[in-house]
Amino acid sequence: MEDKSKKFMNPYLAGILIGVFMVAAYYFSGEGLGASGALKSVVVASVDAVNHDYASNASFFKARVGGEHSPAKTWLVFEVLGVIAGAIISAAFAGRLKIEIGKSPKITNKKRLIYALIGGILFGIGSQLGRGCTSGMVMSGMGVLSLSGFIGLIAIFGGGYMIAYFFRKIWI
Amino acid sequence: MEEIINVSGRSIPHVYPHLEVWGGPIALYLFFGGLAAGLLFFASFFYLKGKADSMPMTVKVAPIIAPIIIILGLMLLLYDLHHILYFWQLFLHFRIESPMSWGAWTLSVIMIPAILWPLSYLDDIIEYLKENKPNCKMIGLLNWANDLIKKLPVLPAIMDLFIKNRAMVAYVTIGLSIVLGVYTGILLSAFNARPLWNTAILGPLFLTSGVSTAAALLMWMSNDHKERTLYSKIDLMLIAIELFFIIHMFMGFLSSGVAQVEAAQLLLGGPFTVVFWVLVVGMGLVLPAILEIMELRGFHVPIAIPAFLILMGGLLFRFIMVYAGQASGFHIL
Repeated sequence: MEDKSKKFMNPYLAGILIGVFMVAAYYFSGEGLGASGALKSVVVASVDAVNHDYASNASFFKARVGGEHSPAKTWLVFEVLGVIAGAIISAAFAGRLKIEIGKSPKITNKKRLIYALIGGILFGIGSQLGRGCTSGMVMSGMGVLSLSGFIGLIAIFGGGYMIAYFFRKIWI
Repeated sequence: MEEIINVSGRSIPHVYPHLEVWGGPIALYLFFGGLAAGLLFFASFFYLKGKADSMPMTVKVAPIIAPIIIILGLMLLLYDLHHILYFWQLFLHFRIESPMSWGAWTLSVIMIPAILWPLSYLDDIIEYLKENKPNCKMIGLLNWANDLIKKLPVLPAIMDLFIKNRAMVAYVTIGLSIVLGVYTGILLSAFNARPLWNTAILGPLFLTSGVSTAAALLMWMSNDHKERTLYSKIDLMLIAIELFFIIHMFMGFLSSGVAQVEAAQLLLGGPFTVVFWVLVVGMGLVLPAILEIMELRGFHVPIAIPAFLILMGGLLFRFIMVYAGQASGFHIL
């Protein structure tokens, strides 16, 4: 079997491509790119399916349920499905498609997954307080020169750099 | 809260206006039925092709899943029944024009080879597990079952008879598994009041989908490269057939009466459009097909990904057909 390329894409080229996709996303959907928004829509739709009365009364959910369509029928949900499908195909093309848990060799898988879950929960809460995540607020926001995008960039990456030292053992 | 006023001369309190009588358990039962049919089909087929030793996962090990999921499916079916204690009455009648009767009898007859087939290979299954998964907790249980069978009075004699006539049993099982696979679709298509179900193509479509999910599971479980490649190819062919059937199903609906056109609209612009085309056709058929083509061309693709996608797609397809079918009807006329 011939060895298919194992190289990563040039990061500058990848950055330009993301920018092009951002323009295309604004053009076709009227919204930018996003990730946490898709998860939010799925959560809202799940809560609505399990307990419609609660979802129609709780302040976070009620603005998003009761429309003509399911709350999960938003551009971001389809964008994320496309991201998953595209990521699988492109990783296979690069010969890097495998199921693994990226972590420091010194910690167990369980520990890594627990930290990932805690980090994910914190980021989820943060993205709701900040009204968007790295993609939805920072990139899409900066794309339209929104001040919140620039502040978000400083907060997310600045916060990340400050905290990273304390959690470096998860990776090295 | 939206309120709908139904004016109807019909008095069927549990059916009208509550149109969703069948829910998740039925969809899951149809999925298990199709999967079991596929597993038994492949086991018998490759046994007859003389591949018992070169494809041990298909012929010897995987069939043990079939009786387990058939029993699970039947338990779901019982759970769905309104008069659970009368279920045995199905086995006192045979009505040639009733798909439910065909299903009840096929399931009871196929249970005999479905149970005896893996039992007759218990020694090989234990050996296979010891070789490939030495830490598997099932080994102890299987050893205990194996010893128990040998001590029972009549069973060893039955097993001997079964093993001697295995080829004949395999031929019968192939036939029964096809009937079972088709039945999971025909069960729905017999409802003439539900235009989305009432199409003859549902039988072959469900059979293909069931066999395809079984091929995906076998591809996932097997650790033999040749066996996996074979199932990759089989699966690709089955996905193509499935897409062909789906297109023809819609062609049939759209060239039929108003009720059928309206039923098709449920999946072509109506509330089930997105889940059907994005999740079932896109993620459950096209994406795994692309991944399998890439794998056959030499790219490294962990087999679990396309296999999982196909299984999820098959399961979701049954959920959508069960729910969308009940939303279709002649009430819109």
